[in-house]
Amino acid sequence: MRAIEADARRYAWCRSQALWTFGMTTRGYLEDARGAQLAGQDALLRFAARMIGETCAVALNVALNQERPLPGPAMRASWALERLEGHELRQLCWELIRGSDDVPAEEILERCEALVGGSAAVIGEMPDPLTPQGHIPAIALARDWIKLMELLDEESLVPPGWALRD
Amino acid sequence: MREIEGRRRLASRIERFHGVGLERVMAEIEYLRDDGDTVIAGGSLAHGLGNGLSDLDMLVSSPAAVKSSRVPLEHFLGSLRVDVWKLGQGAIEASFGRAEEALASERPLLGRFGDSDHEDEFKLLHRIAFGLVLDGDGLELEGQGRDWRGVASGLVLREYAERMRAAALVAQLALRAGRPIAAAVNARLAVESALNAALTARGFPFVSDKWLGERLGDAIGLADLYEPFRRLPADPAGEGAGFADAALVACAELWELDLGFEAVVPLARWRRSEELRLASAGGEQLLLAPRSGAVWALEQGEAGAWRRLEAEAGEQGWALAGRDPEETTLCVRLFELGLLGLGWTEGVPAAALGAGREVGA
Repeated sequence: MRAIEADARRYAWCRSQALWTFGMTTRGYLEDARGAQLAGQDALLRFAARMIGETCAVALNVALNQERPLPGPAMRASWALERLEGHELRQLCWELIRGSDDVPAEEILERCEALVGGSAAVIGEMPDPLTPQGHIPAIALARDWIKLMELLDEESLVPPGWALRD
Repeated sequence: MREIEGRRRLASRIERFHGVGLERVMAEIEYLRDDGDTVIAGGSLAHGLGNGLSDLDMLVSSPAAVKSSRVPLEHFLGSLRVDVWKLGQGAIEASFGRAEEALASERPLLGRFGDSDHEDEFKLLHRIAFGLVLDGDGLELEGQGRDWRGVASGLVLREYAERMRAAALVAQLALRAGRPIAAAVNARLAVESALNAALTARGFPFVSDKWLGERLGDAIGLADLYEPFRRLPADPAGEGAGFADAALVACAELWELDLGFEAVVPLARWRRSEELRLASAGGEQLLLAPRSGAVWALEQGEAGAWRRLEAEAGEQGWALAGRDPEETTLCVRLFELGLLGLGWTEGVPAAALGAGREVGA
């Protein structure tokens, strides 16, 4: 048996937020970055790279430092970067968030893939919900975490009935 | 005529990117159809943007009473991902009704129809107003003849103007609280929000934030305005203030709105995101957030600032105006921790938005 060195509610909240934020959001932006690079859409590539930098920084901070709650979007980048000071992926996150006009498109994509790969090694892998192979397994994984949060009487990743409009 | 050309271009793009014909897409979603419904394509591919990895966003609107989905049903046709929202016409009419009401009011709009994390309501309204009808007679919404495109565009214009104002304020607060990265990030965001609003004012259908840079290439003058702000300063602590000042000048020139601290601060309030309590234990001053199960140790000065703020607690939150530097710094730090939010006493008035004259260039 391995002890989880954290309060159960905090562990479940942070781990699910990190996995879901990272897994869902970076997959989408990585797809945008790859598509943009192939199509020569430089502005889209650089926007997607920024978002990958910010999302990875936030997810890494939540996973490594078990910080909660999450700040609003306006403050997430500075919040996460400050707390990642000294981590090997911090500089890569900052460079992507900052923007990279002087770096060729191929290199930006390589940096995005390196950051996503490095972050996955910390946070954990998640099935890619944007592919036919990963779509149902990703939903099943989300369901597992939602059930765990309910068991702990903890705020869920999504509110009840979230998939339906009023 | 424009619809026919649009459909032809969309069909040609998905055929070229994925080797999938539009008729195959329609066959795939046939199970979602009802008598008298309308199928609309929206999103980047329908607006001539997108690329070989973009998904195809579609909307099936049914006159029948159906449960409307907030998230799409995903379909995979080879390498093409097709996201479909099934919506009852009543839900669409209700959305447009809420948007019209919001536009007629001076209350703040910010975040009520989607925020930067979830833009679903904006996108829905734009897909309907600006999307390509692929099958069916088009939507016969209650109030036919009303300017639905005007409503959808007006909503984006107001929302992004308010985002610009909020980001401008956060940038200035962050500078005062010694948070230079937050200042630079929000200064850039203010410029991008100003430009998104400007694109909408020029008649570009809204797609999403990520397409801003690509769209600016088609908008005379706006790409040059963006250029100095595409990249944050290398040293935000040394250059952040100059960067933020220049960004606010660019926004103000574009929209002729005063975004200076003294002009904006009286309209904003700090609001608690959750219940917070100050407790003393063994000489430590602890700020507790019980719902998050979180606790922070405060310095003496911070605890004093908290007590002064707490003494004024009310339903309307705390005014930003008239705060001493210690109180402002504490509030910005709590904002950065997700414990405070920013609220507004009024929206950006529509009349003020009529003034941005570079916008219509």
